[in-house]
Amino acid sequence: MSVLEVRGVSKNFRGLAAISDVSFAIAEGSITSIIGPNGAGKSTMFNLITGYLPPTAGEIRFKEKRITGLPTNRIAELGVARAFQIARPFRDLSVFENVRIGALFGKAGARDVAVTTRRAMELASIAHLAEQPAAALTVGQLRHLEVARAIATRADLLLADEPCAGLNPTETAAMIDVLRQVRKNGVTVVLVEHDMPSVMEVSDRLLVLDAGRLIGDGPPQAVANDPKVIAAYLGTPDAA
Amino acid sequence: MNRTPALIALVIAAAVLLAAGPMVLPPFYVRVGQLMLYSAGLGLAWGILGGFAGYASFGHAAFIGVGAFIAGLVENQFSTLPTALLLPVGLLAAAAACAILSALIAYPILRLRGTFFAIAMLGVSHVCAEVTNNIDFFQGSMGLNFPPIAPAGMDPANFFYELYLAGALLILLTAWQIKRSRFGAGLLSIREDEDTARMLGVPTERYKRTAFVISAVLTGLMGVIYAHSLGYITTDSVYRDDTNLSLIVYSLLGGMGTLFGPVIGAFLLVFITQVILGRLLDFHLFATGLLLVLLILAAPGGVSGLLKRRKTA
Repeated sequence: MSVLEVRGVSKNFRGLAAISDVSFAIAEGSITSIIGPNGAGKSTMFNLITGYLPPTAGEIRFKEKRITGLPTNRIAELGVARAFQIARPFRDLSVFENVRIGALFGKAGARDVAVTTRRAMELASIAHLAEQPAAALTVGQLRHLEVARAIATRADLLLADEPCAGLNPTETAAMIDVLRQVRKNGVTVVLVEHDMPSVMEVSDRLLVLDAGRLIGDGPPQAVANDPKVIAAYLGTPDAA
Repeated sequence: MNRTPALIALVIAAAVLLAAGPMVLPPFYVRVGQLMLYSAGLGLAWGILGGFAGYASFGHAAFIGVGAFIAGLVENQFSTLPTALLLPVGLLAAAAACAILSALIAYPILRLRGTFFAIAMLGVSHVCAEVTNNIDFFQGSMGLNFPPIAPAGMDPANFFYELYLAGALLILLTAWQIKRSRFGAGLLSIREDEDTARMLGVPTERYKRTAFVISAVLTGLMGVIYAHSLGYITTDSVYRDDTNLSLIVYSLLGGMGTLFGPVIGAFLLVFITQVILGRLLDFHLFATGLLLVLLILAAPGGVSGLLKRRKTA
């Protein structure tokens, strides 16, 4: 069953088509990476799914319910969470307090806030930092905090925007491990990521965006060898 | 984390001590005490929106004025009621008026952030003052009399002192309950980063509106007590820009967003201006201003921030 369905979605910024007629469905329990050159519309896609921006055309369904046009907090209540590329912690609060906000809010329904907070910190391996102020964390730790806070919302779908950008190989490996753990807990993961080795390693499926169009879709190896995709990244011989 | 019982005991002890104040204090200090408790109540009410949610209003005198004038007008209509019922009727009318006004302006005005919100609220305060002044119905320019409500045999100064204390305690209790609730955590996340808060499922719009209405209603209630203690008010006695400014200063001084910050700030500022500088009238505004600048430069987190820094150091 697909947990997320994007149907014929377009987004124009004034004259510029950031997303043009994109459709895809995300299978429950999968890890899917959206890749593409800078400006391809990857982050815009996340902004549309989370309701941060309204699409110009098309519709988005989450667990078969139409979510297009709903406010961001309603979509979060249904079970969509997002981890930002540039970490946006609540800087004056501790790691624990940050994650607790996710547990207090997020997906609607009963929960044990204390247990949810602790589990999310453990899953993202930042339990040892619980009492640290968020402002004191390193870039890598902040990414983990972003993911922990998102997990604490008990989301069924995690959108992670470049969780590995700017991390060293050790940190990247740790992050990949966290994402695997998240999936193991039944959460569907969609990544936007530039780090190709991580993408190839962790993803079940790749979606390739170029200039707002979906130009590739399939298992990582097949997509990475697709001439259209290579052309999008490196340019075509006759264009050069 | 579990200092809560000790804190509650401390607050109760302080309240009992404060309540006994008028029995031992000379009249001048009863008046200073009135002003301290009134200011603390207003500061706490302001802090529910300004401190907790980070929406610093520069126009909360609007709700003091609306509360006071509506209460006065309604109470004068019910002048046949027993004296003991007049204040409750006035408080109820003021609460309703402030709730309606704040709920109406919440939609457009809470879309603004930071300085823009502050200035828009200043505008609201001035518009309310102009309306009160220029529409005869409100009697703002010629003044509005309030029926005496102090029980016979009790010094009105002591009576109003105790009323202010009751009001301030009610607001403190409300603010405390909010701060420790899920709603309070939501407000905190709005203050920290509103877009992220929404992304995490915090119903930011509803929470901001709720905090705004609660803050406005509580401010209005203090306004009613204030008007009664004056006995006669005009537009200028309740819609005061120095009040608009002071409410921000209390939190800045005591600690923005903390529960006791506005109380500490209000007590401190009133004590400094009324007692220490009270005899230097020419000098007093200058000295207050200078003191504020120095305090804010030296302690951006206010008094609460200083205490916290000492504890962690």
